[in-house]
Amino acid sequence: MTLSIIDWLIMLVYFVFVLGIGFALKRYMRTSNDFFLAGRSIPAWVCGLAFISANLGAQEVIGMGASGAKYGINTSHFYWIGAIPAMIFVGIFMMPFYYGSKARSVPEYLRMRFDEKTRAVNAFSFAIMTVLSSGISMYAMALLIQTLGLFRGIIPEHYIFHVSVFLSAIIVLAYIFLGGLTSAIYNEVLQFFLIVAGFAPLVWIGLRNVGGWQGIKHTLPASMTHSWRGMAHANTNTLGVEWIGLSMGLGFVLSFGYWCTDFLVIQRAMAADSEVSARRVPLIAAIPKMFFPFLVILPGLIAVSISSKVVTPEQKVLYGAQSAGVRATAPSAAAASSTNTSTALDDSHPHGIVPQKTNPLNGQPVLDSKGEPVYNYDLAIPVLLLHYFPTGILGLGLTALLASFMSGMAGNVTAFNTVWTYDIYQAYINKKATDAHYLWMGRMATVGGILLSIAAAYAATSFNNIMDALQLVFSFVNAPLFATFLLGMFWKRTTGHAAFTGLLSGTAAALLHHGLTIPADTAPGIHGGWITIVHHYPSDMAQNFWTAIFAFSVNLVVTIAVSLITKPREDQELVGLVYSLTPKPVDHHLNWYQKPSTLAFAVLAMLIVLNLVFA
Amino acid sequence: MGLDIRLPLGLIFLVLGGIMTVYGFFTRHSAIYGRSLDVNLNLGWGLILFLFGLVMYLVGRRQKWQDDPVNPRPWERKESAPRP
Repeated sequence: MTLSIIDWLIMLVYFVFVLGIGFALKRYMRTSNDFFLAGRSIPAWVCGLAFISANLGAQEVIGMGASGAKYGINTSHFYWIGAIPAMIFVGIFMMPFYYGSKARSVPEYLRMRFDEKTRAVNAFSFAIMTVLSSGISMYAMALLIQTLGLFRGIIPEHYIFHVSVFLSAIIVLAYIFLGGLTSAIYNEVLQFFLIVAGFAPLVWIGLRNVGGWQGIKHTLPASMTHSWRGMAHANTNTLGVEWIGLSMGLGFVLSFGYWCTDFLVIQRAMAADSEVSARRVPLIAAIPKMFFPFLVILPGLIAVSISSKVVTPEQKVLYGAQSAGVRATAPSAAAASSTNTSTALDDSHPHGIVPQKTNPLNGQPVLDSKGEPVYNYDLAIPVLLLHYFPTGILGLGLTALLASFMSGMAGNVTAFNTVWTYDIYQAYINKKATDAHYLWMGRMATVGGILLSIAAAYAATSFNNIMDALQLVFSFVNAPLFATFLLGMFWKRTTGHAAFTGLLSGTAAALLHHGLTIPADTAPGIHGGWITIVHHYPSDMAQNFWTAIFAFSVNLVVTIAVSLITKPREDQELVGLVYSLTPKPVDHHLNWYQKPSTLAFAVLAMLIVLNLVFA
Repeated sequence: MGLDIRLPLGLIFLVLGGIMTVYGFFTRHSAIYGRSLDVNLNLGWGLILFLFGLVMYLVGRRQKWQDDPVNPRPWERKESAPRP
């Protein structure tokens, strides 16, 4: 694919602004508070958009498009069930503790509430996860650039991947090194609007072409266009999971486990300029989050609804291209669109313009166990961009795609450098240095984090299943986490020993559950069943959700049990850290429309309406 | 924090919208719009982005972020004890 000078110009403008913001903010980085927490001075709406943008990495845009193309509109469950309720909860109930405790990070809150060892578990596991996440984003972006042939003709083929990795690394490094969290937040807001600017016209023109939502409902099977149909049993819907597994596993454990405890997003809320602001941040973020299915899932549906037989030259490039596939991972709600297992429903729906996977070695289509060709759904959105966009706006669409990758990377790097500096370096290595030293350390940690991410990106090239493996690891670590926070914030009797043992046993339980169960039609190994097979699940997703439920429950029970036999801390030490011992947030001076709870009710109402419309 | 975000936000969309509008204007009635169902996306969407950028930039120039005088930050409250 060749881009014109206009497309390159648009991309260049974006990169100039991204770096320019970093340079413009450098002078405000005077203390470590400025660098890691943006001086706690950012307005709620800015934090809200950054909150959602940091979460919206490659996994969302590419992965949700792929899921939409493969499974249909019930992918929206990842948003409407898998995110919104948790975001409402964290804003209303948990932000007062995160913000009011003056903790500078989530592990630091754990240290204040429990003890050092609980903090250590969270800090180390989180630091590793962020670096790996960032590396995966880098890898996915470079792979996509390679597959789309963005630099073809400009850079020799075998250098494209390396150039992409290093270029993205240098740019992210530069703007975070200079401007810290503030720079990351500002760029995330920019990236949010760019993503809307790049994808909204795509959806608009796509819908015009396929006849609107009615046209899509006409072309695709009903199971793909109704989100709640067939949810009573696992084998009557495309996700392969029934509504209990969905709501408890995804809706509760996994989604709350991510949105309420992951420092990547919480950090953006902690940067807000007041407690009321901080409470509003997740709620403000929930609004665009609710409507994002129309920007990222709908294109997937459009891509498989297109029935024109005209193949553009660019599509020929993709059909023949080396596509090892851009794998999507979400550290939270797993968008498990693994393209080497096809469900029975996969064959009975149209594939539109989604290209088939081809074996990079011999150029032949990859076949599944039934001899049918496997489709590369990860390319659904890029192919759609190339299908509809003329040059000019194509540059914008590609910039939006690149922006989403970079916001994911930057978010992970800022979370890493904060957790490293405060929760690992300051906590265990050098407790008594000056603030200027920690600021310097933060900058070094940024460099270190980027280098480790590059290493992770290259590791992903050597190990075929690394994305799946990491997704697994994330869910093992995230699933039990929420139980610890829930008990810690709402039950003053919870003790440090209990939290520590609970966390570890929850993770062990997740491992155990994974080793003992397996999804249908898969071999033991990365998909499970490596101890022995005790139970079969209808799909990967069902297994994932039930692993989460199991891990959460084990953590809950163990934490409660150990709490009852160990000594809790004195009440006065826990003021501001536990619900029952903290004065309720002061908001009676606000008008009814300014209160966070009003916003929460409005968001909930919108959520119910959307679910009803697309049920 | 010193720099109102609406300024760079407005500016980038002014520039991008401007580029797209100008390009769209010079390529109107061209064959490149065959794939977008003969809709001149560059001109139309470029104008919308330009307007968005303009609004953002002007709002950013006029307003300044106000400190919320009613809700002091937690560490500014006199009665809260310093954290260990």
